[in-house]
Amino acid sequence: MTVQTTQRRGGGYLERPKPSGLADVIEIILDKGIVIDVYVRVSLVGIELLTIDARIVIASVDTYLRFAEATNRLDLIEHGGGKPLDEFIGNMQESGASGKTKGAVEGVKRAITGGDDDDDDEERRRPARKSSSSRRRSESR
Amino acid sequence: MIAEADRAPTADAAEADLVPGEGRGVLVYGVVDASSKVPAGLTGLDDAPVTSVRHGRVAAVVGEITLDRPPGRRAELVAYSTVLDTLAEAGAVAPVQFGSVLLDEQAVVEDLLAPNEDEFAELLVQLEGRTQFNLRATYLEEVVLTELVQTDPEIRELRELTRGLPEDAAYGERVRLGELVARALEERSGADADVLLDAITPLVAGCNVRPGGGADHVLDAALLVDDDRRDEVVDRLEGLAEAVHERMRLRLVGPVAPYDFVGGS
Repeated sequence: MTVQTTQRRGGGYLERPKPSGLADVIEIILDKGIVIDVYVRVSLVGIELLTIDARIVIASVDTYLRFAEATNRLDLIEHGGGKPLDEFIGNMQESGASGKTKGAVEGVKRAITGGDDDDDDEERRRPARKSSSSRRRSESR
Repeated sequence: MIAEADRAPTADAAEADLVPGEGRGVLVYGVVDASSKVPAGLTGLDDAPVTSVRHGRVAAVVGEITLDRPPGRRAELVAYSTVLDTLAEAGAVAPVQFGSVLLDEQAVVEDLLAPNEDEFAELLVQLEGRTQFNLRATYLEEVVLTELVQTDPEIRELRELTRGLPEDAAYGERVRLGELVARALEERSGADADVLLDAITPLVAGCNVRPGGGADHVLDAALLVDDDRRDEVVDRLEGLAEAVHERMRLRLVGPVAPYDFVGGS
């Protein structure tokens, strides 16, 4: 458990924003906290509905079409090259090996390699071309 | 819900009766130990001074508020969370749901603190020396979609079939492609969320996985973290973030007050 807790501080991959944005605050507090009985309280200051982002419903035709479009728009780029996480995986196994953990370890490996075991996949032979990610970011919001 | 409807008129009447003439009430931010001190100069909604009302072992942190007002807006939500997060830095605090207003300080004691003193005291013991962090993991959508195309033959075929065609062609195939992608994403994000949780839950005192939304969603979890393990947790997450950075973003917000760990319904 104590192996790798020293060197990774300040690595910069973990984003640490201040919860200052309205969306952050709403997500943190919405529907949370001790609820005071309706008979006791004088009133409840509501949260303006407009400020609550509608959650995207994943199972809808519109969503499916958006996914299809995003998938078709891909310039397939080569992934992988992530650093081995053996040290990390070792830690996780130490801290409680179970069937689930084993599956989880495979998940981490997949996380590192980009999830493709088939190196002969013809798509991967295409020249790596990174395309702008800004367009899909704006779409997914 | 039927029972609720039966009770509703009574509740309305009760609320109306309680409204004081001058249209002011007491907003309750949270509950703290009776020995806690509210930081000097702390203000909340309406810039009203934040004070505490004690009863036995516990105290409510309150501020005056006008009752006739529109629903909470940005400044009010931010003021509420600022008060609670400030309190959380100083010691254990159990947040009360945003916008909860009682008639006056006497009502705070009689209706809130006195009936629940034992429960609140016990809760505060559990929260002592701990704060909440919110962890969110999201996919880099382009990367994860590429993974799906590369690993799922049916997705790959449908993609090849539909990508060259105009938008209104092959509608059924497009929907099918999107459905497969959505399903595969859900499956993949579930597995990836488990990986993250397995790595982090042994280090935290509590974990509340929140329902997620959005195509890039992997995990949204509130973590209750012991103060003396905070560095360890952040280190672990930094390590995870580095490990997955080519396909995921990890975002950690906090420390904040333990909104998810007060047993609110």
